[in-house]
Amino acid sequence: MVVNSLAFLWFFVVVLAVYYICQPKRQAQNLFLLACSYWFYAQIDIKMAGLLAVLTLVFWFIGRSIEQAIGQQHERRASRLTTLSVVVGIGALFYFKYLNFFIDSFVAAANVVGLHLSWTGSHIVVPVGLSFFTFKLMSYTLDIYHGKTVHERNLGNFANYIAFFPTILSGPIDRPKPFLRQIANARLFNPDNLTAGFRRVLWGMFLKMCIADRLDIYVSAVWNNYDHHSALSIGLASLLYPLQMYADFSGYSEMAIGVALMLGFKVAENFKRPFFTINIANYWSRWHITLTSWLTDYVFMPLNIKLRDWGVNGTIAAIMLNMTFIGMWHGADWTFFLFGVYHGLWYIPLMVSGQFFKKTKVKLNKVGLPTLPFALRMVGNYLVVTFGLMLFHADNISMFWDILCHLPEAWDGSLFLDMATMVNAAICTVALVWSDVQEEWFPNSKLWLPRWAERWRMELLMATEIVCILLFGVFDNNQFIYFQF
Amino acid sequence: MERNDILARVQEVFRDELELDDLVLTDETTADDVEEWDSLSHVQLVVALEKAFNIKFSSREILSWDNVGDLIDCISRKI
Repeated sequence: MVVNSLAFLWFFVVVLAVYYICQPKRQAQNLFLLACSYWFYAQIDIKMAGLLAVLTLVFWFIGRSIEQAIGQQHERRASRLTTLSVVVGIGALFYFKYLNFFIDSFVAAANVVGLHLSWTGSHIVVPVGLSFFTFKLMSYTLDIYHGKTVHERNLGNFANYIAFFPTILSGPIDRPKPFLRQIANARLFNPDNLTAGFRRVLWGMFLKMCIADRLDIYVSAVWNNYDHHSALSIGLASLLYPLQMYADFSGYSEMAIGVALMLGFKVAENFKRPFFTINIANYWSRWHITLTSWLTDYVFMPLNIKLRDWGVNGTIAAIMLNMTFIGMWHGADWTFFLFGVYHGLWYIPLMVSGQFFKKTKVKLNKVGLPTLPFALRMVGNYLVVTFGLMLFHADNISMFWDILCHLPEAWDGSLFLDMATMVNAAICTVALVWSDVQEEWFPNSKLWLPRWAERWRMELLMATEIVCILLFGVFDNNQFIYFQF
Repeated sequence: MERNDILARVQEVFRDELELDDLVLTDETTADDVEEWDSLSHVQLVVALEKAFNIKFSSREILSWDNVGDLIDCISRKI
């Protein structure tokens, strides 16, 4: 069930009505929410709903045992149990997502050195949302061990945290403490939450249907037939792809955050205008924030602490490993591995020059926009991100290499332009850039409206968004790019 | 060493490392209150504090601090 589909709309209307009929009975609300989350997940992947339930139970018991061990001052036992939980979480990820990749890579490497192996991986279906919910499970036990949260005695509340339907498929990857604190209280009907949530759902639909899916028409047409296109067209498609990814994934995040808000939950933000950044470290602090902060807290920080006596070399080693994990988190392919390494390498000059450790503030001109040198650094950073996403977008390394080799041959070809698609996408992209510029540099300014219209500001904005979706949207229920991860 | 003396010394280290001459720390100060105190500078601060007090923290101790008060409690247990 796609979030921007009619089926989801009917599902959610019924959920919302029954959910608020249950108020103020917290237990009834939570039980109903859990049933809805599992029903939603089972609609997509009924076989894997069992796995989700089993993993939830296992982690709940381990969390309880860690807390007991800490209470009894059995430090080693607590540490072993935490390690066990990480092994289970990583083990599930490894089996479902990476086993075949490692078998294939091993066989290929063996063949290169003359050992002719005929092993083949078995057909393994990756559970939907696995990368997202295993990270939530592991953060629960790790946070208990580090004293950041306490064990949730109510199994139902914990199961709700893991299976929460607005975020189970593609995040944001919420942390246990804020979610479990919210679920401990009844969520009362609040028109402000409903309006604000609906607004974010609409904005998310606009990003997804009017920008991401519209740009996808052009980008896919060129990318999937790159050998028939000129270097100019491939360049333009590559430059548009980061924008498509941003609209697609931040669009999904907006919808997830909005749906959660309508149910009375505040979940973590996932994007903060990532292209208004002047270096790659800055970019990753604003792109897929919940994944980056998860890996910062549970991978980079512990590694950096362990290697702290190595000075800047320790930080470089920690960041390289961290970025490789970020790359591989997206999928089992060498393209994702290289994507991570590529980003890690961009951190090295920042660390060696000391820029990484100091926050450089963007200088603004009299109008309040970035000065030319900073604007140029943002453009440069966009190009760095674009090249990384070309790797990310390629089906495999050989396709990426073919595209690079094809570029010089296709240098003098003409630019392929699908005018209708481009004009529609451009109009909507201007709206996105306008919105981002306003939030970044003019957060207190409001769009000017005549006095008679001022009291209807919210309604007018929502109506405009709906009209835009109807006029410019692509209605073919395209999957979100991040569902595959 | 008195708790206040530890706080004063920790504050000195923070001011040097973060280059913030006016920084005032209390038990309740968290990383959210000081813009320059992020995951990176945190490790630099840890190294500087270990040198200043001639002690060694474990990874679990470092990762469990929520605020300056937790950090000072940890130091006072070690000196």
